[in-house]
Amino acid sequence: MRLCIPNRLEDVFLALDRAEMTLDLAAIDHACRADVRLVLEELLVNTVRHGYPDGRVGEITIHLEICPDAVRLELRDDAEAFDPLQHEPPDLPGDIADREIGGLGLHLARSIASDFEYARDAHGNRVVIRFDPSLSDEPSS
Amino acid sequence: MTLIVRSESPIPARTTVWLEGRLDAATFGDLDSALRDITPMVDNGGTLVIDLSGLEYISSAGLRSLAQLRRQMHDRDGRTLLLNPQPQVKKVFEIVKAVPVAEVFASVAELDQYLDHMQRQITG
Repeated sequence: MRLCIPNRLEDVFLALDRAEMTLDLAAIDHACRADVRLVLEELLVNTVRHGYPDGRVGEITIHLEICPDAVRLELRDDAEAFDPLQHEPPDLPGDIADREIGGLGLHLARSIASDFEYARDAHGNRVVIRFDPSLSDEPSS
Repeated sequence: MTLIVRSESPIPARTTVWLEGRLDAATFGDLDSALRDITPMVDNGGTLVIDLSGLEYISSAGLRSLAQLRRQMHDRDGRTLLLNPQPQVKKVFEIVKAVPVAEVFASVAELDQYLDHMQRQITG
């Protein structure tokens, strides 16, 4: 699946539904589909909300590829430079209601992806993420 | 699929809210506005039970709404208990250590047992 969307929240959610449908048709199991959806939501919502502070119209490309042993996701955007791997994981007190904690979404995305790469080139930001469906296990407890 | 919020308050001391669907950056506003009507119906010091049996998916935006709700209840000396989180929701809770384990229950029976125990402690 290859999609090119404008930097608007409603288009992000249309893209999430398309991605989930693509994974469903490829018989990717439910847990892995939910992982991909979560990582996509966290990264795309973050890009739309913070990547274009001047309010310009931007373009985000989503490329989802189903390989024999993994799901590969590539995101490209023309937003401000942002490397999700450069952010320190948040300090988690054991109850997120104790105080406002920033960076939860990025922390979730990084924790769930099996492999996460970032690069910036002339076109903008590029993130490549791999999901291993055999690791999308649901918690045992 | 969107988010459906239902609630029932058989007694002012205890209200149950059922969430169904997805709680994410597209739907958290629906929960926030539904809860603005629901939480004032819970007595100060009362219990709000969030039944998560029908919630298939949560993202960080949904976690923030639940955290805010738990803070509001806490400010009114009330408590928020979470019931029966499904696999994806459980996984997200675990990754960010979202909620103290003591406030999450796997079944209504477990939850009732806990509330009875708390009640006995209060009444002696």
